[in-house]
Amino acid sequence: MPERRAKGPSLGERLGTALGRVAGAAAERPETTRETTRGALATRSRRDFLLFGASVVATAVAGWWLLPERAKRTWLPGAADRLDTLAARVGLTRMQREAQLNRVLTFDDDVAEALFSKQREVRTYARPDPRPLRNNYHGRTPGPEYLPGWRLNLSGLASGRGERLTIDELLARFARHDMNTRLVCVEGWSHVVAWGGLRFADLLAAYPPARGMRWAALRSGVSLNGAGELEPYYVSIDLETARHPQALLATHHGGAPLTLAHGAPLRLVAPMKLGLKNIKALTDIAYTADEPADYWNERGYSRYDGL
Amino acid sequence: MQAEPETETRDARRHAAAAARAAALARRQAARAARAASAAEPVRVVNKHDGLVRAAHWAHVPLLLGLIVSGLAIYWAAPVFRHAPTPGNPRGDYLVDAGRALASWFGATGETRYWLYERMSVGPMQLANALRLHWLFAYLYMACGALYVAGLVRGGGWRALLPRRSDPAEALAMIRFYMGVIPAALARKPWPHPIIAGKYNALQRAAYLTMPLVGALVVLSGWAMHHPATLGWLERLFVSYDGARIVHFACMVILGGFMIPHVILAIADGWDTLRGMVTGWSVRVKGTPHA
Repeated sequence: MPERRAKGPSLGERLGTALGRVAGAAAERPETTRETTRGALATRSRRDFLLFGASVVATAVAGWWLLPERAKRTWLPGAADRLDTLAARVGLTRMQREAQLNRVLTFDDDVAEALFSKQREVRTYARPDPRPLRNNYHGRTPGPEYLPGWRLNLSGLASGRGERLTIDELLARFARHDMNTRLVCVEGWSHVVAWGGLRFADLLAAYPPARGMRWAALRSGVSLNGAGELEPYYVSIDLETARHPQALLATHHGGAPLTLAHGAPLRLVAPMKLGLKNIKALTDIAYTADEPADYWNERGYSRYDGL
Repeated sequence: MQAEPETETRDARRHAAAAARAAALARRQAARAARAASAAEPVRVVNKHDGLVRAAHWAHVPLLLGLIVSGLAIYWAAPVFRHAPTPGNPRGDYLVDAGRALASWFGATGETRYWLYERMSVGPMQLANALRLHWLFAYLYMACGALYVAGLVRGGGWRALLPRRSDPAEALAMIRFYMGVIPAALARKPWPHPIIAGKYNALQRAAYLTMPLVGALVVLSGWAMHHPATLGWLERLFVSYDGARIVHFACMVILGGFMIPHVILAIADGWDTLRGMVTGWSVRVKGTPHA
């Protein structure tokens, strides 16, 4: 039998050495002490505690300034007004707060926009949630009176004309796409829904917007408020999002035509946006160069709402 | 001759006052000299916490508080822990039940449906405000977490947080110590602290390592909820959208719950420990007995 030649350490041995080296590097070191004088310690300590105290005061003032009015009045009903006056004296007014908090929203929207890609698909699901989808109309659900006269009005087109399309024209002209995607509400609930409809991108290709248009102003002229009075609902959608293959102008839900509760006969389904952008009973699409108004943005919510 | 004694008294008074002034001066000088001697006295201290770790530690207090009060107001809009709807609680929100129970325990009268939300959050019906605050605090929290980790690396503090083989035995010894500390004090029996070789004992290590890990988890589950579409892989990591919500809530409970024993034990440990987290140094050099 030929004698085995020593080939250096085996794999196991080498692994053991490597692990030992890692353990050595991660082992707790003996504590480091230093020699100083009581005077030097006292001086540094005084400085550190003054800095600490100043930070506590600054944090308390900023925290008070940031609190919503309702919380201020619930938590400190007696002192709220006086504390507000004090904060305003150092420049921390309510208007300042709104401006700063809206800057936070804009920053967060910029992050969302940076994460978005027209090429990346949103997650789809094998089957929708079995529960019925909640009707989250902000006001009352519109009655069926508007359905016979319903048209989709397009404006801001390259042709320079306006278009008025019926639901039958839309269904006949454009291919139907189906998808099970999650509708996510800003409130926190979500629902996987089986949607069907035409691609927004196909409509954009058939009726191209005029040059320089970067936004779509989507509006529902039949939306009602809580008292049952007409109150149009409107959202802004960037055309990058509108051109995403999963941005649908939905006509179907759960295999059947949309019901009144879910925005018959046509609604937006953009699963890469919060539910509040998924406007129901859509009646008007206007392409614009500048960002159009958005119902919930005017009420303190973000503008881009990218999921 | 009448003036003579008067002058004498005046002179005597003047002399007495001068003597008193001289004595006071001497006393002040002696005190100053004593202070100077004491200030020059050498002292050995141990470096405990890196400056970044200290700053991040304290900044976490208002940030966590802000995240909890804004987060619960967001949670109010659509609770994830729900039972079947009941008359006074159409959403079946367990926190509404908990608030009602606490309110009656505290003897509150009137409408107590939102009792908990009014006290532990910025309030019901504050969704837009709460979301803005939550994003502000969330970005600051992430920055703060990054500072903390940077401080652990710079100061080498991360090594003291890693688990080691002696941990189970040391943890048992510490549990035994904590269980006996009050009975021993009542019985006026000596109850020595177990000897700890490292910076922390096994229980502290476990807790202090858990916190940054839970912090990372709370951030990940937050992003999973915030961007389930563009960060779909992250949502999948938590199984579903509601999975991320449940993990996020559980992390909040752990992070908030940690503070209670942490504050009690830090105060019980004494001034040196509290000061150490402000100034970074401690006079408790290893080898000196644990207070």
